Amino acid sequence: MLELNNQYTMMKRQVHTQVLKQFFNDTLSEDVDKIPIQLIPKQRTPTRCCIYKERAMVRYRIMAFLGVDIEKDDDEFKTLSSYVDEVLEEDKPISPLLTTISTACSSCPPDRYLVSDACRGCFARPCLANCPKDCISFSNGKAHIDESRCVRCGKCMEVCPFHAVVHIPVPCEQACPVDAIKKNEEGYVEIDWEKCISCGKCAMSCPFGAIVERSTIMGVAKMIKEEQHITAIIAPAIEGQFPGNLAQIKQALLATGFNAVIEVSEGASETCDHEAQEVTQRKQEGLGFMTTSCCPAYMKLVDKHVPYLAGRRSSALSPMAYTASLAKERYPQTKVVFIGPCLAKKEEAAHLGTIEGVLTFSELASLFVAKGVDVREMSDSDLGDTMLFEDCRQFALSGGVAACVSKRLTVGDEIAVHKVDGIDKKMVRVMKSWERRPIEADLVEVMCCEGGCINGPGVVAKPSVAIRLRGGNKAASPVASMRSIPGAKE
Amino acid sequence: MIRKTKVSVKICVGTACFVQGGADLLLYQDFLDPVVLANCDIEGVSCIGGCKDDTLKTRPPYIQIDDKIYGEMTQDKMCALLSEVVHA
Repeated sequence: MLELNNQYTMMKRQVHTQVLKQFFNDTLSEDVDKIPIQLIPKQRTPTRCCIYKERAMVRYRIMAFLGVDIEKDDDEFKTLSSYVDEVLEEDKPISPLLTTISTACSSCPPDRYLVSDACRGCFARPCLANCPKDCISFSNGKAHIDESRCVRCGKCMEVCPFHAVVHIPVPCEQACPVDAIKKNEEGYVEIDWEKCISCGKCAMSCPFGAIVERSTIMGVAKMIKEEQHITAIIAPAIEGQFPGNLAQIKQALLATGFNAVIEVSEGASETCDHEAQEVTQRKQEGLGFMTTSCCPAYMKLVDKHVPYLAGRRSSALSPMAYTASLAKERYPQTKVVFIGPCLAKKEEAAHLGTIEGVLTFSELASLFVAKGVDVREMSDSDLGDTMLFEDCRQFALSGGVAACVSKRLTVGDEIAVHKVDGIDKKMVRVMKSWERRPIEADLVEVMCCEGGCINGPGVVAKPSVAIRLRGGNKAASPVASMRSIPGAKE
Repeated sequence: MIRKTKVSVKICVGTACFVQGGADLLLYQDFLDPVVLANCDIEGVSCIGGCKDDTLKTRPPYIQIDDKIYGEMTQDKMCALLSEVVHA
């Protein structure tokens, strides 16, 4: 997975901020076509082949941000402002969630192992001895790999004492847990929608930014501008994503134009109650393990790739779903906007029908900057009585869901927990094997993203930073005194 | 030669800086050289105004070392700058 803070993320965030700034200044329609030139000025030293290609990429990023499906609706004769007019008129459908920019794709060659110059042609030759397919030969005192016979097992790389064998992967293909990414005849990336589970790992791993998510932010921005009543429901992972504590983040949301804020942890508590009851019952009846159901990418994985697990999933709805109905109960006329780190939630929300918009933290960050809201300058808002669901803020971390469920068991009951911390190709195979040989646990907690939701595709701060800023309100408050916080988790 | 007084370092954690990569600078305990770390007073502070100053001609994230503001800060740049100041 690509390091979160890189030139691409920064560029994307600048593009998003510019678009939103113009939108709230009512100049988007006239000025949107200037953004590529403003962000990529003539004097810039290009990182792609030339500034003109970089400008074209900014154009595509704007289109994706507006929610345009670039694969289908790319019309090079059309100006950005005509796309804007279309979007302001009517929201684009959410599915498919991702879209590819074929001209950004570098058409990386198939993954392979390569012997580099560091090979010293040693006497022991462990590569030769350990290759299961006999595809290593020596010429000019250096090892060579016969591509046609190599099965990409990586043994030679593991055993080389000089680290002379390198693996050159195709980042998007490697990241996809379900092999949904293929190259077309021209070598450009293509996503197989029948297989895709919307986890967003490919978009996070492409160093050229060729796979992008289609944003749904314009719908929310329109609601804000029209001053409709909007309730933001914020995922537990939000703590640590912005420089301030939860109370300040809530206040910042209110300042941005949301009318009410509800923590999704509140709904998570309901999910936990339900799951605790269910897992106890299953245990008594001897039905074997049950998995959690809060990760939408996992839900899709089961539907599309591991069908037998459908009977093993908890029947509890996701915390988002419970919280959305809670919001509708409290404010019947409200529009509900879920704010989280997740892309797959967008599809889940579209199916639920009780949620009118989904934002990622990254999109929210652009919204804050565009609106000039500084989280750290906010006063603490009243979070209300959080006693009952405070522990559910741990839902954002791997192990957190299982811990909350265990807490809600009847006294005396005990369950064995197994954590699935991140789904990759190997994990999918392991899960498939559970059909024949069920895992010995009562509750299997599944998180598609390694480390939990705080490592999701829509985050602002990487997990190491987020974890430091989390941990109750004390760790998040003044960043200045961060090192002196007793009990702050490292 | 190591200077006598501690270097004052302020990392801007205004939202604009934080989301443009400033968040990573808060891991200074992990990436700075221990000698440099011992000679600096580092803190995260509210917006230091770099983004509002047009004369700087640079972009977030900003940090302030003593009285000077530096933009487009990265972990590597911060390491280099601070060890220069500390060892000056």
